Amino acid sequence: MDSVKTRNEGGGAQMNQRIPMVPVAPAAGGATPPATTPLAPPPVAIVDGASATPPLAIILDEMTSAVDGVNGALLASVDGFAVARSAGMPNSAAHAAVLAAGMGLAHQLAAMGGGSELRQLVIDHDEGLLLLWPLGSKRVLALLTTRRVDQQSMRQFVQAKAYWLAGDQ
Amino acid sequence: MMSDHTFKILVTGPYAAGKTSLIQSVSQTEVISTDVVTSGDESAVKAHTTVAMDFGTYAIDDNDVRLLLFGTPGQPRFRFMTNILKGDVDIVAFVLDAEAPATHAPAGVELRSLLADLQVPAVIAVNRCDDLQAARRIARSLGAADSQPVVPCQLNDADSGREVVVEILVTLLTHVESNALVASGAGVA
Repeated sequence: MDSVKTRNEGGGAQMNQRIPMVPVAPAAGGATPPATTPLAPPPVAIVDGASATPPLAIILDEMTSAVDGVNGALLASVDGFAVARSAGMPNSAAHAAVLAAGMGLAHQLAAMGGGSELRQLVIDHDEGLLLLWPLGSKRVLALLTTRRVDQQSMRQFVQAKAYWLAGDQ
Repeated sequence: MMSDHTFKILVTGPYAAGKTSLIQSVSQTEVISTDVVTSGDESAVKAHTTVAMDFGTYAIDDNDVRLLLFGTPGQPRFRFMTNILKGDVDIVAFVLDAEAPATHAPAGVELRSLLADLQVPAVIAVNRCDDLQAARRIARSLGAADSQPVVPCQLNDADSGREVVVEILVTLLTHVESNALVASGAGVA
């Protein structure tokens, strides 16, 4: 994880960069098949539990400790249910529903802008950033960050864990 | 009222009642929807659900009268969207599934609360029902007055959806005329 822990000395979050197209294979366990979408590898057979899903909250906790500037993370289903949250994130059922509604509208706004794929939704507020990323077709990841968060490291981390976080397996 | 001839309709009601179907069946413009795949217990009921809003339009008389249809999600966890969408609404179209009686009691609470708050007329569309008397019984079970407009409908059918829209238009017209009478003093004893 230390290799991920870098700081964006250049200042400012790197906006509008999509999560890398090629997913990073899980660090341990079964093989990850080629991805058909940035964060949604197709289903893969689990052999002897080798690629059993690690607790998602632990992945989110790892992220908040490994990537400078990430203060909290919440994983939700696209239809508004909380799936996992990092320590310190408020346990409010409403948050997942608000995320789902926000992403639903953001997809329409992307279409209004002529786009066909929503890559991220950025809420820039007085205390920092709230970044929302679609993960596959079923989930959305919300990240509470400082304005100087290293988005590249954050993306690499999420890419490495996308297989589990996306929930498509 | 948004303008003299443009009316905002709030299409609301419980989960899986037929709100999106109503808007999709009658809208004359492409429906803006926020449908996503369902998960958990809700996926056993239907495959997709609205998470923010649906939007469609309906116009008559060469666009002289326009209805803007704003559909809400049905699940209580999305109630904040109803609170956002209900501003400046002219009429509520409350959609209910006749074949989902477990939803009727909470729907009654929601309907009464909404109408007490908004003070606008409502049309109750009882989906998957062909019988007016049965639809009225269901509406009464929600606490609706006998004078409340009720439409039995099959919202997978566009013609049936248009019957709901006609009832909305008639109810709006009656309401506008009644308000005009009050404003002119003719309705004051």
